[in-house]
Amino acid sequence: MSTVDRRRFLSKAVLGTAAGVVGATALGSVSPEVALAEQQANVGLGADLYDPNFVEGRITAIKGTVLWVTSSDRSFHRIHVTTATSVWKLRHTTFADAAVGDGLYARGVRLDDGTLAADSVWLNIVNLRTTIVGMAPNMLHLDSGTERVVAHVVPGTSAAVYNGTPAVRDMSGVRVGRHAQVIGAWRPDTNEVDVSTLYTSAA
Amino acid sequence: MTGTWVPATQLVLVAGAFAPAGWFKLFGRGSAVVARRSALGRLTGKDRAVRAFRLVGAVELVLAAALLVPPLAPAAPIAAAAWSLAMLGYLGYAKWSAPESSCGCMSAKETPIGVRSFARAALLVAASALGVLSTAPWPVVLSGNPVPMLGSLVLEAALFVVLSAELDAYWVFPLRRFRARLRHPLRDAATGDVPVQASLHQLHRSPAYRSVHDLMRSTLLDSWDEGEWRMLTFSARQDGRRAIAVFAVPLREYEPERVRVALVDDPESEPAPAG
Repeated sequence: MSTVDRRRFLSKAVLGTAAGVVGATALGSVSPEVALAEQQANVGLGADLYDPNFVEGRITAIKGTVLWVTSSDRSFHRIHVTTATSVWKLRHTTFADAAVGDGLYARGVRLDDGTLAADSVWLNIVNLRTTIVGMAPNMLHLDSGTERVVAHVVPGTSAAVYNGTPAVRDMSGVRVGRHAQVIGAWRPDTNEVDVSTLYTSAA
Repeated sequence: MTGTWVPATQLVLVAGAFAPAGWFKLFGRGSAVVARRSALGRLTGKDRAVRAFRLVGAVELVLAAALLVPPLAPAAPIAAAAWSLAMLGYLGYAKWSAPESSCGCMSAKETPIGVRSFARAALLVAASALGVLSTAPWPVVLSGNPVPMLGSLVLEAALFVVLSAELDAYWVFPLRRFRARLRHPLRDAATGDVPVQASLHQLHRSPAYRSVHDLMRSTLLDSWDEGEWRMLTFSARQDGRRAIAVFAVPLREYEPERVRVALVDDPESEPAPAG
């Protein structure tokens, strides 16, 4: 099924043609009780226990649809990526964008053979709390307090959130000297990031 | 007396640098926090970092006072030069042992230790050393050569400010803000489209999302526009089967209660991995 066919099929499912509106209230079966029953048991991890369903590290190899990942504690993981796995790398994207050397966070379900079947994979994602110290065309200079970071604005992808209102593309409200939280994609082995979302206060 | 104003100027400059630095360390708000974060903790141990920090501040205040009291020349500038040299060494140690730590030299503003920190400490070493040559009390020299002494003092103080990353907020930021007001560097980033982040923001506040949230397994899989709607898909699991949660979010309006959702069997469902 091509991407276009798939999207058309899914659009029809939610927007409906003859079936009419499929709203939240139409989903009678999705009561909170049912939804909660579907949830996995809370295993009650303590602060010092490691979460078997979460992996952090860097990609050391890509074999078919399996990512080989080495964590910062030197442990080694294999991560299955399927069509149902969401992949984020600056924007939501596909497995094809994964590259050796990318930083990775993955959440999923640990299988019996020790591999992780990933539900979500985030590549190179960073969350920076900074002060904006300078601006240039499509570029921001940020000070994290201990490090200077160069943040690249990617036209058509980067968005700004002013005072918690919905994101917009307009970055002309960004001011030098203000605080900025940046969700972005690290460029591996540099002090540069590409901006996905920049949260700041409005002028 | 001509020529003696150069060393005399340095005494005032160094005193003017030490006084606010010492004052901040002794009495400044947040100085205890800065002390614990600074590399000083590595030298003295975390428990004693605050006391050591205050002690450093007291020494700096005493040095500043001594530099300005004529009878203490030339002992005071020698002590100041030794102290500045020690500061330079400390900066080098901090950069080497804890490169992520802040200098904590002059204010609670966290600034990385960089070229400017070293240049500023070197400036103080040079100025103190020059101050040793001072022969006459500085108030006397000042009354004799007010213009060159005040002029060079202003210039050197300006150099000190330029080398102080803590003070950027007072002069660099206003300049850059002014430039941005004339011509904002990011003015070209604006395009007419609605960012996916905005649609997600609306989605997360919708009753439709809340009703199926616990069935969802992944973050955003795909998104596209369908007329007035932004379509967003997520992996979900229902009754042990893999499904796709499809949301239709109003593209241009903010009306979370209009968000629609459908759960459909994944059209490309592969058998879930065994386990």
